Amino acid sequence: MAEIKTSTEQKGGQRSLQIVVFKLGNEEYGLHIDQIKEVVITPAITRMPQTPSFVKGVANIRGNVIAIFDLEDRFNLTRTIQERGSKYTLVVESEDVKLGLLVNEVPNTISVSASDLDESVGIINDSSSETNYIKGIIKSGQRLIILIDIFKVIDHEMNSSIKKASVAA
Amino acid sequence: MKDKEEEYKEIFLAEAMDNFEEINRLLTHLEKNKSDKNTIHALFRITHTLKGNASGMGYGGIAEIAHVLEDLFGEVRDGRIVLEENLFASVFKAIDVLGNLIDAIKDNSEVKYKGIKTKLEVVIKRAKEEAKTGASVSAQEAISPFAPEPDMGSELLSEESDSPGEADNKVSFSDLVQVPVRKLDNLLNLVGELIIEKDRILASNASNRTYASNEYARLSRISSDLQYSVMDVRMVQVGFLFNKFHRVVRDAASLEKKSVALQLEGTDTEIDRNVLQVISDSLIHIIRNCVGHGIEDPEERVKRGKPREGVITLNASSETDAVLIEISDDGKGLDYDRIKSKAIARNLITAEDAVNLSKDDLSMLIFEPGFSTMDQVTAISGRGVGMDVVKKTLDSIGGTIRVASIEGQGTVIQLSLPSSMAVKSSLLFELREEIYAIPLAYTESVISLYKSNLHKAGGGLVATHLGKNIAVVFLKDVFEQQVEKHGYTANVLQAAFDNIHPEEKLDIVVVSFNNRTVGFVVDKLLQQKEIVEKPLMRPVDKIKFISGVTILGSGNVCLVLNVPQILHFIFSLSMGSKSSRNFTLN
Repeated sequence: MAEIKTSTEQKGGQRSLQIVVFKLGNEEYGLHIDQIKEVVITPAITRMPQTPSFVKGVANIRGNVIAIFDLEDRFNLTRTIQERGSKYTLVVESEDVKLGLLVNEVPNTISVSASDLDESVGIINDSSSETNYIKGIIKSGQRLIILIDIFKVIDHEMNSSIKKASVAA
Repeated sequence: MKDKEEEYKEIFLAEAMDNFEEINRLLTHLEKNKSDKNTIHALFRITHTLKGNASGMGYGGIAEIAHVLEDLFGEVRDGRIVLEENLFASVFKAIDVLGNLIDAIKDNSEVKYKGIKTKLEVVIKRAKEEAKTGASVSAQEAISPFAPEPDMGSELLSEESDSPGEADNKVSFSDLVQVPVRKLDNLLNLVGELIIEKDRILASNASNRTYASNEYARLSRISSDLQYSVMDVRMVQVGFLFNKFHRVVRDAASLEKKSVALQLEGTDTEIDRNVLQVISDSLIHIIRNCVGHGIEDPEERVKRGKPREGVITLNASSETDAVLIEISDDGKGLDYDRIKSKAIARNLITAEDAVNLSKDDLSMLIFEPGFSTMDQVTAISGRGVGMDVVKKTLDSIGGTIRVASIEGQGTVIQLSLPSSMAVKSSLLFELREEIYAIPLAYTESVISLYKSNLHKAGGGLVATHLGKNIAVVFLKDVFEQQVEKHGYTANVLQAAFDNIHPEEKLDIVVVSFNNRTVGFVVDKLLQQKEIVEKPLMRPVDKIKFISGVTILGSGNVCLVLNVPQILHFIFSLSMGSKSSRNFTLN
């Protein structure tokens, strides 16, 4: 994944970004390809007590037990994901966190030029979250893709809600 | 018992071989750099250790040679003997004899060692005499008058080849291998995966009747043998840790100006190395507390008709699934009145409650954070930090702690520890279509009752079982508690009870932890199973009700309940609704 990054940077002005696009609600969201490990068919999910509703539970993916998130729930979007029926799980991984995101369709990967990414858009932020997880908006033809940094979403969530849970308990 | 002795012998042999090789290496190094002080110090230390170990095991020969070598290196260190070529020859000779003696343990052969020993003793004696007259002599001179003499030393020399170093051309290998714990942990993880995989295969073939179940019997047996072998490898004797406490007691006692002896019992009890590591700090803390709080000053002891010297006893014993460690002292015991007044002063309990508390309940108060009955803070105890940490540590590994005390006669602290951290016998049950595991270490019994057997009392439910009243909680009520909600509604723990059919039969798992016994109502009891628990991963690692996960034969994830935390939650909840006072036990 590191190679992808360096190779894109070497192109200089013609820098392109690899974005994995998936649908949440009626909008298209994108993640940097280097945050994604794999896409799997959603395994059986075991619900966890003491978690916020967007944490669907934990599941066994190749011997690793990872938490499964529902971003539609998290972002308060129109529900298109069925509780038990969402077909695919996008496994995202950073150095210290690994988790799954529920999606309805197999996400597709697109390559966009860096100039298509508008990072300075005036987005009205969710005032409750301190960190801005929206990295920018990508215009690709007729499509508008919201590029998010998944780990900022998680960090924020985990630091607030689960801490609250542990304090309350 | 025979096996134990054999094992001790093996360990001694391995250490002795290590020491022997290290001495050889250092000595060769010293021969090249004669003035290297560090090497001499190292040699002195090693021979000292070897002497100690050998005399402990009853190998007189090795102990004697090691002793004389230790003396010699001591003299060299203090500058009373100068190492010369000839002396080196003698020392190497002595080392070879030492090596032979160590080898001889294996086949019980006899090795003559008196000669070389006497020879070195003479060198040392002479050096000491010379030192008295003031002149530092060269060891060369000291040795030369003896060299031609046909004493026992030369007899020994003639037995073996002429030049030292060639005496034993065989390179010997120890029968023990040292392995880093990290590798063992990895091995155990792999075995865990194997067990899970085996269960999965067995489960997937259970429906397939064409394969008889004994097709897999061998696989089951081998994998469980493997698992127990790996667990056995990780077992160490508590003695390894206990022996370190002599120093802890001595230091603590001298700081407190008390006279304390440490007695060790059951030091050959075996326990998982990781468990021992986790509790070592806690044990040190408890022992220091015994010295600081338990044992009285010598004068006071005499006044009370006790021997001047206090005794702390560490006793280890093993039970089926647990290892018990008891730390007892013959000191003044817990001062229950003092605990009571202190707890009231700190708002841990109310004055009305205090009257009704039993001694056991009062004892548990010393594990509250910030609790200390010592009015003065001493260097080692009285700061009130620690006992709560001790309890937390034990909770984290599924151990329990109990205190019993008789005023004026002493205190006993009993730790019950899991003998292995990796595999837990657990009871599986179903709750709202999910499967959970509850470690058997916490379960008392499994009962089934009808709704009519349960009664509302206060904010919760009670049932009578075998003449004992136990609190009953619907686990689903606990799990449904909204974490964000702070104002608890009064009857949360009765919600599910109100909704069930009057005729319904309820499966109840009775759990107990730290004298709190609660019956958990579950949807359905499944089987008992040995599970390999894995820790939770980020970002859900802070969930308190769940201590870990395991993967079932079906490939699904099964959550393992953290019983101490759940009980804690239930009790803080019921306390919260009962009185307006914010009663938290943690």
